[in-house]
Amino acid sequence: MSPEVGNIVVEERLEFAFAMEYHGPPITSELPRAVPINVDRIPVAAVVSQMPLPDKLSLPVVQPILANNLTKKFSKELKFLGSESNFLPINVSPTSVIAFESPNGAVIRDESLSKELASGSEITVSPSSVYAFEERRPGNDGCDLSGELSSSLDTHYPCGQYESGELSGMVDRSNGLGSSSISHDHSRELLNGVGSSGPLGFSGSFEKSRELSESSRKMMISRDYKGSLDYNNDLNKPDWASNESVISVDYPSSRVSSLKVADGCNEPGCDVKRAPVVTFCDIESEDEDSNDRFSRAGPEVVRAKKEPAVRVRKGACYRCLKGNRFTEKEVCTVCDAKFCSNCVLRAMGSMPEGRKCLSCIGFQIDESKRGNLGKCSRMLKRLLNDLEIRQIMKAEKLCEVNQLPPEYVCVNGRPLCYEELILLQSCPAPPKKLKPGNYWYDKVSGLWGKEGQKPSQIISPHLNVGGPIKPDASNGNTQVYINGREITKVELRMLQLAGVQCAGNPHFWVNEDGSYQEEGQKNTKGYIWGKAGTKLVCAVLSLPVPSKSSCASGDQFSNIVSHTAPDYLEQRALQKFLLIGYSGSGTSTIFKQAKILYKDVPFSEDERENIKLLIQSNVYRYLGILLEGRERFEEENLNDLRVNQPSSEDELIGRTDGGEEQTIYSICRRLKAFSDWLLKVMVSGNLEAVFPASIREYAPLIEEMWSSSAIQGAYKRRSELEMLPSVAGYFLERMVDILRFDYEPTDVDILYAEGVTSSNGVACVDFLFPEPAYEENFNSSDQHDSLLRFQLIRVQSRGFGENCKWLEMFEDVRIVIFAVALSDYDQFAVDEKRSLVNKMMLSRKFFESIVSHPTFDQMDFLLLLNKYDLFEEKIERISLTKCEWFDDFHPVTSRNRANSSNSSVNHAPSLGQLGFHYIAVKFKRLFSSLTDRKLYVSLVNGLEPNSVDQSLMFAREIVKWDDERPNFSASEYSVYSTEASSFSH
Amino acid sequence: MSVAELKDRHLAATQTVSALRDRLKQKRLLLLDTDVAGYSRSQGRTPVSFGPTDLVCCRTLQGHNGKVYSLDWTPEKNRIVSASQDGRLIVWNALTSQKTHAIKLPCAWVMTCAFSPTGQSVACGGLDSVCSIFNLNSPTDRDGNLPVSKMLSGHKGYVSSCQYVPDEDAHLITSSGDQTCGLWDITTGLRTSVFGGEFQSGHTADVLSVSINGSNSRMFVSGSCDSTARLWDTRVASRAVRTFHGHEGDVNAVKFFPDGNRFGTGSDDGTCRLFDIRTGHQLQVYYQQHGDNEVPPVTSIAFSISGRLLFAGYSNGDCYVWDTLLGQVVLNLGTLQNSHEGRISCLGLSADGSALCTGSWDSNLKIWAFGGHRKVI
Repeated sequence: MSPEVGNIVVEERLEFAFAMEYHGPPITSELPRAVPINVDRIPVAAVVSQMPLPDKLSLPVVQPILANNLTKKFSKELKFLGSESNFLPINVSPTSVIAFESPNGAVIRDESLSKELASGSEITVSPSSVYAFEERRPGNDGCDLSGELSSSLDTHYPCGQYESGELSGMVDRSNGLGSSSISHDHSRELLNGVGSSGPLGFSGSFEKSRELSESSRKMMISRDYKGSLDYNNDLNKPDWASNESVISVDYPSSRVSSLKVADGCNEPGCDVKRAPVVTFCDIESEDEDSNDRFSRAGPEVVRAKKEPAVRVRKGACYRCLKGNRFTEKEVCTVCDAKFCSNCVLRAMGSMPEGRKCLSCIGFQIDESKRGNLGKCSRMLKRLLNDLEIRQIMKAEKLCEVNQLPPEYVCVNGRPLCYEELILLQSCPAPPKKLKPGNYWYDKVSGLWGKEGQKPSQIISPHLNVGGPIKPDASNGNTQVYINGREITKVELRMLQLAGVQCAGNPHFWVNEDGSYQEEGQKNTKGYIWGKAGTKLVCAVLSLPVPSKSSCASGDQFSNIVSHTAPDYLEQRALQKFLLIGYSGSGTSTIFKQAKILYKDVPFSEDERENIKLLIQSNVYRYLGILLEGRERFEEENLNDLRVNQPSSEDELIGRTDGGEEQTIYSICRRLKAFSDWLLKVMVSGNLEAVFPASIREYAPLIEEMWSSSAIQGAYKRRSELEMLPSVAGYFLERMVDILRFDYEPTDVDILYAEGVTSSNGVACVDFLFPEPAYEENFNSSDQHDSLLRFQLIRVQSRGFGENCKWLEMFEDVRIVIFAVALSDYDQFAVDEKRSLVNKMMLSRKFFESIVSHPTFDQMDFLLLLNKYDLFEEKIERISLTKCEWFDDFHPVTSRNRANSSNSSVNHAPSLGQLGFHYIAVKFKRLFSSLTDRKLYVSLVNGLEPNSVDQSLMFAREIVKWDDERPNFSASEYSVYSTEASSFSH
Repeated sequence: MSVAELKDRHLAATQTVSALRDRLKQKRLLLLDTDVAGYSRSQGRTPVSFGPTDLVCCRTLQGHNGKVYSLDWTPEKNRIVSASQDGRLIVWNALTSQKTHAIKLPCAWVMTCAFSPTGQSVACGGLDSVCSIFNLNSPTDRDGNLPVSKMLSGHKGYVSSCQYVPDEDAHLITSSGDQTCGLWDITTGLRTSVFGGEFQSGHTADVLSVSINGSNSRMFVSGSCDSTARLWDTRVASRAVRTFHGHEGDVNAVKFFPDGNRFGTGSDDGTCRLFDIRTGHQLQVYYQQHGDNEVPPVTSIAFSISGRLLFAGYSNGDCYVWDTLLGQVVLNLGTLQNSHEGRISCLGLSADGSALCTGSWDSNLKIWAFGGHRKVI
């Protein structure tokens, strides 16, 4: 920028106000008149009639040019690169010729211009730009223009004036680009704080771009040829492409980067290229505020067809610019750019979404190319091997962006939403080759056709897509109606041939199986497609007949999701719940329960077989523990006996003839041998290896053993055997059944069994919440919900310890369900430092580390307090204060608690309930002290299906509510407070 | 012997051990008069210099939908296998940057993957505690998925890392969250040896990484959450040959130096270290102070073919190129054009050393190659 201009800028910095009223002198000059532009003539600048200027405004003048063939003169302009760069603070792009020519010709051709601009204002000029120019008006004292024009961007007048002043030295330059002066002027505007030279160019150039598209293309091409070399420093967007291609020949991907990185200002320009509306904006997108301008323009053009980033001569490769229309080329499915075989791999990269050039990845494909998806060209086949081709074509067909946009499909006059489209495409008999367009769909019979045409196909009936069918959907004129649609002549013909009585213009009611009734009558009159000949007739008349799969419909509704849906659908609708807890907290039971609850076949045959073996080996293990216990008891008893012998010989229970001492824990020799063998096997650790074979062999022995008084005696003292888990009783009591060869584990057995879910690592189950019956009343909105699938992921806590390294893999879960066994409060376990710690404290520590893990920042947590049944029973015997965390538990017990059990009318909370609430509050306080958020708590008993179902429903509600939270005001959702009833102590 | 007495003796023994360990450390410090960097500087070596186009990103492998966790190159052909949180293994042709296989995994939580030496099969492991082998030549099922050809199950914790024993397709070494490493025979699907574990002198926390000595495939080194690295001999499973202390955080990555006499480690404490397996000494610490107090953990490391360069990926998205001799950062790939937008989770050098592949949590892989006329180092 020249210094003078700079000064002027400083002087002219005024206090601007929005939309100031114009109080200047009346307009003296002639009002501009609109003149239509001749398309094949590029409007050019003519001689500027020197307008009187205020003295202090010494402004550049643009000398007129008669540049009727710009392309020729263009090259001239290159010489002035140097001057240009110091002249313009912002880079003037050669293309600005097109945009700014109009202001240049302002004096002569202002009529046409104003017309253009007036019409230009119809296009989306952002409102701020209008303000901007109005603000500026007080600044141009000399140029009094019609106030009416103020809204239609009249700034070009001052432009013209300024030009005429100072730019005179730049004549040649402006020869080439009449506009450079203008953009210079715009730079002034920018400095004035208006900062919206963009919009002017925008509207102007848009207008121009329409009319001058022909010439501009010439321009572009010529620039691509000449400009690419000379304009290296000019940093214009249209140029980088060619620049770039020079640099990045070796490394195609660096091409993208330079696009992004080379120049911060360039970025908006790149975006712009996606929409023809703003194609020319990059002309002056150097200014900073173009950023938001483009973003404003963005939403309107999202669906607009993407234009290739580079413009090339017809037939040439868009990357290397070589070749002609006969060279084989691959086309980008988005932007129409064509690449020759040398460039295609570099231009398209790894093709994660099929054949798209790198800058088009993530954009929707051009609908006209939908038919070509997945159809490989010969060129690619030559370049790549079969496996690669297969992957590309698979990606092209199945990736989410390339799917048909739902709003492009109208069914019965209503555009579909996403879920409806999925429903339509995943039904058993989906419409073939669904293309964008308007369709009609007869929900009762499943007839499907293009709007205004006869039916083309019979798809699955009863899909809840689109609006109700219209009588004129297929544009029939026969007065015969099927399911409320007037049918076409062809259909009528078919009906007649099929033997349907069509006299008297009846209204038919046709079901999906082809049975038809006359409207208002109950009895089925027959089956349209029942006769063998009908299908032939249909084939002749090219009318659809029901496909086999659609006939066998009926229950397809319930298992829509079980259909093989593409991956992108699976990912989209899946809500993940993470279930974790300290070992022994019952996560595995909850997981199994969920599996049994929500799966039709919770465990496959194989799994059941494995589980059976597992349960049986578990039982052997329990038995071993019991036998060990028996030995210990026997020994103790014998010791006691020996000690007591002298004094209390009579107390001896029995004495065999052999003189061997015996107690109630003694067993006969045969059983003893077996017991010894079993213990030996267990110690050696290969129980699993031995036992399947031994089942048959030892079954009678086991039976005998179990019924022996010694084992029963030991079993009675099982609470003294720490090794024996609490569930062992359940299995031991049914031991005889379980150890049969033909034993089949029941669901309950599986629920109780230890180690069914893989004892380490993760297990996950996908499920749907079964729909309650009443939900049928709610229609579409709930149906979409039913498409939501859930995944319960259960993670074994073992191996968490101090490092939660792999927790970060679960950052996409929606909610963390943390299980704590209530009954743990008096149990102790060995922690990693080999000291004995209360299990509740271990649980708490684990809880803390999970909650404070950075991965779960802002995650919802649901605390499940499990094993309430055990807890309820235990708390009566053992005080909750056994755990040091709960030492301030002093429940207020009513005096008549003793008989409160039978006087349930007063609803005095039981000690168990009090304990539960107390623990819940303890955890909530801990949680809010760690995160300042609210913890959701639910009571659960893993062995009861209902309670697990309810707590998972609760989790779903939390997630759902979380999605809807923005819709509620704060006051509204406080109603949903999940605070466990306030607990005070 | 009473319990109390035993406890006392145990306590005394532990104290003795730690005292001995301290003495060992002192002695080592005494013996360690210099580190690699100091010596090379005294020898007048100058760091490798990098021009702006010397190492450039030449391919971007797009196709994963989730965080990339692991990658591996084939030894001879230019193919890469990568594992991602979207539950897929993808086999790439690094030259054309196209996918050749996309394998959907039964368990989406995959942490590691490896290419077999012949390039016929790939292995992967993750939170399912199983190492699965896929034969790339086996026919796909009707959904187009490649079936698992072998499941190596036996670990009691997640499989954090796996590597094929060089030059044979039949053996594989895994590391696991159950504090052990395992040597597997793939043909039988059985574990031939377990390294570490309850009664043996092994790692005392999750093992995160293994690396097999390239010149002597009987030796391998493992890095663990107990902040040590251990050297193992596959013939002696009972105890580690040597334990390398020094790190102050979990050892996330170990990698043998190309000559097989040294190995590098990368850790949560933000440092990379170079250890000598013959002396057990720590030769060099590679650490650069960041502006803020944050110390980004090292996620993955790789040596250049000569060993002169050490590539280290950090959790903040940086990828430093260290000059191993002088201990200086000579390049940061994270600041180059076209770099990853997320944490760099894995690194790997192609067998001929001409290209580096990085995998990131931004779900892309990038291949970096020496541009211009620069020779491979």
